[in-house]
Amino acid sequence: MYLVIVGGGVVGAPLASSLINEGHEVFVLDRDPYTVASLQRELGMIATVGEATSVRALQEAGASRAGAIIATTDSDEDNLAACQLARSNFDIPQTIAIAHSPENAELFDIAGVDLVVSATDLVLSNLATALPAHPLIRLMPIADRSQELVAIKLPAAGTVIGRTLSELTLPYGTKIILMVTAEGQSKTPEANTRVEAEDQIVALSPANSTSELWELLTELR
Amino acid sequence: MNVIIVGAGNLGSSLARKLSDLGHRITIIEKDPKSVSLLPRGRVDSGVMTVIHRDGSTGAAMIEAGIANADVFIAATGKDSLNGLAAQRAKTIFQVDEVMTAVKDEGAKILYDSLGITTINKASLAGDQLVKLLTEEK
Repeated sequence: MYLVIVGGGVVGAPLASSLINEGHEVFVLDRDPYTVASLQRELGMIATVGEATSVRALQEAGASRAGAIIATTDSDEDNLAACQLARSNFDIPQTIAIAHSPENAELFDIAGVDLVVSATDLVLSNLATALPAHPLIRLMPIADRSQELVAIKLPAAGTVIGRTLSELTLPYGTKIILMVTAEGQSKTPEANTRVEAEDQIVALSPANSTSELWELLTELR
Repeated sequence: MNVIIVGAGNLGSSLARKLSDLGHRITIIEKDPKSVSLLPRGRVDSGVMTVIHRDGSTGAAMIEAGIANADVFIAATGKDSLNGLAAQRAKTIFQVDEVMTAVKDEGAKILYDSLGITTINKASLAGDQLVKLLTEEK
């Protein structure tokens, strides 16, 4: 797919590189000539100097034939404008943008950005789930990142301790793959398998349900 | 009418002055405390015109400016994208009746037209048109 990335900085540059490796055709727009020069050195002639919010620059970047635009600058307003202009002027099929402030993430959503990546939410959810006591470990993304393989360690004082798996109401689409006891013994998860303190649960979860799953399994009495 | 203007540059200041002349209540949001030299000093000092020093694209600044009772919101900073974001927040989150945004890039007009946001092009003697529009509406 042909993809236009707006902003070739700390997010845009590695994103461009990984998308190219996955076989996509990528073009990066950045207002800073040095950033563009460095991208060209590393990845070839796939970047140009231009304002993300200029219709003309978007046109020159090939927005009219792109399958998606991904806005990764550090300016929320520029990210929103780039996505909206690409949609209104070039009818681009998919718009993706980073929103740094949570209230802007909400606004992007209302404004019709197809996929809003909320930087604050990402950081917060990682911080919250990475607290040492009962972490949520993200083992690997699966199926286009729509699902994730995660491991969660259960607190001894959790509300789920002592219940069987069939008694848990897991988020929709979640499947428990494996359970490991505090002693390192594996248990096959079955309907009547009992959840014990300090068990570690390995589950396949829809990417947007991992936090919910973590909350359920680590909720304290 | 209650009018909120974001940006106290040339455009924002001249709009503030003209609309204030017509008796409208003006609140200006300008991030930079140093950039208010174009505003009518007397009216600011006497409190006829309110100035708030915050980032005018944020909900917090809009609330402080009294957006719940605003009839008109005008995004008039020098940055198109910031104006666009502020205008959309005023329109969709705070549901202000009349929202206007200054744009330099003509290509952005299609977008804001489709969102029901009036675009102001500085080059097209926006101030006078606006004053006319606002007086007629009243």
